[in-house]
Amino acid sequence: MASFIQLLISGLATGAIYALIAVGFTLLWQTSQTINFAQGEFVMLPAFFVLAAMNWGAPFWLAALIGIAAALVVLGLLFKLIVVDPMLRYGVLPLVISTIALSLLLKESVKDFYSAQAQAFPPLVPDADVHLFGAVVSTQSLVVLGVAIATVAALHLWLNKTRTGRSMQATAQNPALARILGIPVQRMVLYTFLVNAVLVAIASILISPIYLAKFTNGETLGTAAFIAAIIGGFNQVRGAILGGIILGVLDNLSAAYLSSQYRGAFPLLILIAVILCRPQGLLGRVEERTV
Amino acid sequence: MDGREPLLMLDRVFAGYGKMTILNGTTASIRPAAITTVIGPNGAGKSTMFKAVFGLLPVRSGTIVFDGRDISNLPPRALLDAGIVYIPQGRNIFPELSVRHNLELGGVALSRQAEIARRIEAVMRRFPMLQEKADQQASTLSGGQQKILEVARGLLLKPKLVLIDEPSIGLSPLMVRDVFAILKDLRNNGVTVLLIEQNAKQALQISDYGLVLEQGQTRIEAAAPQILADPRIAQLFLGGGLLQPEQVS
Repeated sequence: MASFIQLLISGLATGAIYALIAVGFTLLWQTSQTINFAQGEFVMLPAFFVLAAMNWGAPFWLAALIGIAAALVVLGLLFKLIVVDPMLRYGVLPLVISTIALSLLLKESVKDFYSAQAQAFPPLVPDADVHLFGAVVSTQSLVVLGVAIATVAALHLWLNKTRTGRSMQATAQNPALARILGIPVQRMVLYTFLVNAVLVAIASILISPIYLAKFTNGETLGTAAFIAAIIGGFNQVRGAILGGIILGVLDNLSAAYLSSQYRGAFPLLILIAVILCRPQGLLGRVEERTV
Repeated sequence: MDGREPLLMLDRVFAGYGKMTILNGTTASIRPAAITTVIGPNGAGKSTMFKAVFGLLPVRSGTIVFDGRDISNLPPRALLDAGIVYIPQGRNIFPELSVRHNLELGGVALSRQAEIARRIEAVMRRFPMLQEKADQQASTLSGGQQKILEVARGLLLKPKLVLIDEPSIGLSPLMVRDVFAILKDLRNNGVTVLLIEQNAKQALQISDYGLVLEQGQTRIEAAAPQILADPRIAQLFLGGGLLQPEQVS
């Protein structure tokens, strides 16, 4: 039982990080039909912004802020202006291919300009163990879980309790109607890109102490976010949260109790099951298509 | 015709999608404080006309004048400010937002927060159903209730002109009657309503004027009873087409 709780909490922590990434992923899809196949690399990159800032002598907290700010500019603003806006005019597919190209560019750039070696990344809190319900749990996991929950809660509050947030939701749910009502759709879309940039930067800072900062980190993270979004429902923020949590917990539990060799296969099995039985995702809404 | 100036005038408007031209020099004069129903066969350009007026489709040539001002190719936001609202076909709600928040988004074009809240209260007094369901997700409303929500949201801006496209689609006869009654009520309060309806006969019965579009051109503009009594209308809807364009103005 103790080890179950331990696995559950570390699974929740991983899942919460997946959820952050998946939420950004679905937001981009909803407001601008951007299926961002570079989302994993988007999580990989901010850690290197932070490391670079620390190499320049910044203390960790300042470096983390610089990392988030750099992510806002590069992964939010520039991504939208340089990649998405010009490509979206030609349709969703060219944009998808562009994001795949971008993922390669980011990965190779980090490898060439920073390092191909995995880099140690400072944890948010010194590593220690605490006892919780008889289980030994690392403070790392708890902090990750806490920060991720706080981030999602803040996002949720902002989306639901402010007029700007609701205008963003409106833009995501029905952009044509949003325009007809006079909602500044383009500005809302930009906000979505900025929100995504913040989410991936936070995810990056949370996950890098655990996995180390490495240029290949995006490969698994991108796939995880993609699967989480599909499991939960591509058009629902809460779906992405649920999908992320399920994936993280399942990953940890199946590795411990079923087979660590096939740990990578379980998320895919769930993915296949969801696509077969409930293609709109667990919490997804069936989209009406106009012919 | 009463002597008043038309509120909306289209003068030889051309518009379309890509290489397709749908509006072929559409000309129309929409009178104020009246309901005008636009009828015509599928593909005649009825919805296209609304989109062109509301700045969703570029006007390639010709002019659209509203309230004495040229509004051709202005963006939707500017048209909302000018006093036009557009309620397209189908379901125009944000399904996962509450009824209240759906209403509130109709007031984005208003700058003063307090004024929006006041107008939402007024609209809810007028449609108590919306008050009852204010905190429910809009997706839980029936088709007819959603249509009422859409109309109510449009009224938040106190428009001079409402463009409403096929409001009766998918509604029960009872609901259609309710929606039409709201439109009549609007007209009685001085709002100009421009309506597209497949259900042409019923729509013309509540209308003051009718406008018959065919192949992107105005064939007939006349008082509604006159159009209802016109034997050529039946012919038009059977696909016969009119031989002589008729100008009434």
